[in-house]
Amino acid sequence: MANSIRIDGLCAGYGSVQVLERISLSVNDGETVALLGTNGNGKSTLMKCVMGIVPPGAGRIEAVIDGVPYDLVGRATEEIVGLGIALVPEGRRLFPRLSVEENLQLGAYRRAARAALARNLAFCFEAFPKLIERRKQLAGSLSGGEQQMLTLARALMTAPKILLIDEPSVGLSPLLVIHTIDKIRELKQRYGLTVLMAEQNFNQAIRIADRGYVIVHGRIEFEGRSRDDLSNNELVHKLYMGL
Amino acid sequence: MDSTTALFANAIVAGLLLGGFYAAMSVGVSISFGMLDVVNIAHPAFILLGSYIAYTMNDRLGLDPIAVSVVLSPLFFVLGAGLYRVYYLCFEQRGQESLRGLAFFFGILFITEVMLVLVFGVDYRMSKTAYADTTWRLDALDFPMRLVVPFLVSMLMVVGLQLFLSHTFFGRAVLAVAQDPLALRLMGVNPIRVKERAFALSIATAGVAGAFLIVIQPVQPAIGREYIGLVFAVCVLGGMGSIWGTLLGAFVLGLAESFTSTFFGPSWAPAVSFGLLLATLAFRPAGLLGR
Ligand SMILES: Nc1ncnc2c1ncn2[C@@H]1O[C@H](COP(=O)(O)OP(=O)(O)OP(=O)(O)O)[C@@H](O)[C@H]1O
Ligand SMILES: [Mg+2]
Repeated sequence: MANSIRIDGLCAGYGSVQVLERISLSVNDGETVALLGTNGNGKSTLMKCVMGIVPPGAGRIEAVIDGVPYDLVGRATEEIVGLGIALVPEGRRLFPRLSVEENLQLGAYRRAARAALARNLAFCFEAFPKLIERRKQLAGSLSGGEQQMLTLARALMTAPKILLIDEPSVGLSPLLVIHTIDKIRELKQRYGLTVLMAEQNFNQAIRIADRGYVIVHGRIEFEGRSRDDLSNNELVHKLYMGL
Repeated sequence: MDSTTALFANAIVAGLLLGGFYAAMSVGVSISFGMLDVVNIAHPAFILLGSYIAYTMNDRLGLDPIAVSVVLSPLFFVLGAGLYRVYYLCFEQRGQESLRGLAFFFGILFITEVMLVLVFGVDYRMSKTAYADTTWRLDALDFPMRLVVPFLVSMLMVVGLQLFLSHTFFGRAVLAVAQDPLALRLMGVNPIRVKERAFALSIATAGVAGAFLIVIQPVQPAIGREYIGLVFAVCVLGGMGSIWGTLLGAFVLGLAESFTSTFFGPSWAPAVSFGLLLATLAFRPAGLLGR
């Protein structure tokens, strides 16, 4: 059934610092939408607003989960996760002194996820064979690439309908970025997820995005209605290809 | 058995029995300090509160102190949950937990002690149980029942807690909550509720440990302070936040104390215990089983 997000006129910031100014965007059922923007333009802040981590100053954030609409503003983060929305956060935020397996099991804390624990765990290990080898190792001692896989896998363990991914390519070698992006596409297809992905790596993001938005100084400066639309845009060329 | 062997063997038995008791007193601190980052230095005060409640029920109604403490542990659980709520609202929520939180728990320790003095006075109190003065003998080995009964109940409690924390979703959340509360929220878990319940559990163990204390020795209100150092030594030696570590640390310090008392005299026991602690930390800063 349908899972989507609609953001309308969202303003947010930290104290007196205004970061997001009247952002409107939407992610429709089954889409992968890229949120493109260079450092400090508000990508993470937007994700945090959706997850209830940063309270919006104004605007609406609505999600449809399995066809049922929910107003997300004012809900606690754990409640939003409980609805079926997961965030792969910036900076990975694993539990460093817990093992790989314990990190994954914690992902399945919410009731709906517990029921699917065995199946999801088997799938995570199949998708990321590295994690089986390391299942007893502490998460803090994994390499950067392994940590990124674990973060993705852990978010999937929450059995989400909508997945927000904040810059999956950060700190990874070019080859690993390609691998990670491929994995995201594979996971999305397998679970029929609706995905919003923040990225700076335009060339990689565009490989899997159906369409995207460019965010500059907390405003949506360009909305690309298709992959080609994005690739041929002047602003995108200026920002990402130095043209 | 010749007499030296018997002395040696009895020192081992006494050390292990004592260690079991120490584990019960320390396991709550291992949870609050080690897993939750809640600086509850008032833990011994709750142990004493447990002692006096067990004492009262024993004195008035002739009930067994340990049985009373187990039955009343839900009461301590609720008390712990309430205390955490206050602590959370006044300190943790505002990010002032480190120094002010410490002062808060110090205040709780002090107030509890004063209250106990006002109600019970400063005289030593003892419990009366059928088994307190009996000793079970096996060859030349002595098993004093006033240590054996607390030991057995303590093992049940500590091992049960460890199994609970390592095999349940809740337990894993407890292990994770201090590492990254926001990440826990992103798993759909309310970290405040996890901390509240885990802290409540830690206080429930204090109530039971208090009953052990009054079965083992006479109690007066200021005695809690004597145990603060010991309880922390056990936790640090074993590794903060590891319950198996706390158990091991308790046995090591119990044995150390028993051996020094047997062969050198009781006044050396604290020096040897803390010497052992420092030596261990020099080689394993995270403690014996710390992650
Ligand atoms: N906790 C905070 N307190 C104050 N200002 C903040 C905070 N977090 C972010 N900001 C500011 O908000 C702006 C947007 O930050 P945000 O993290 O959303 O950007 P971003 O697009 O995710 O950047 P990056 O690609 O570097 O992660 C930045 O100018 C940043 O300095
Ligand atoms: Mg960011």
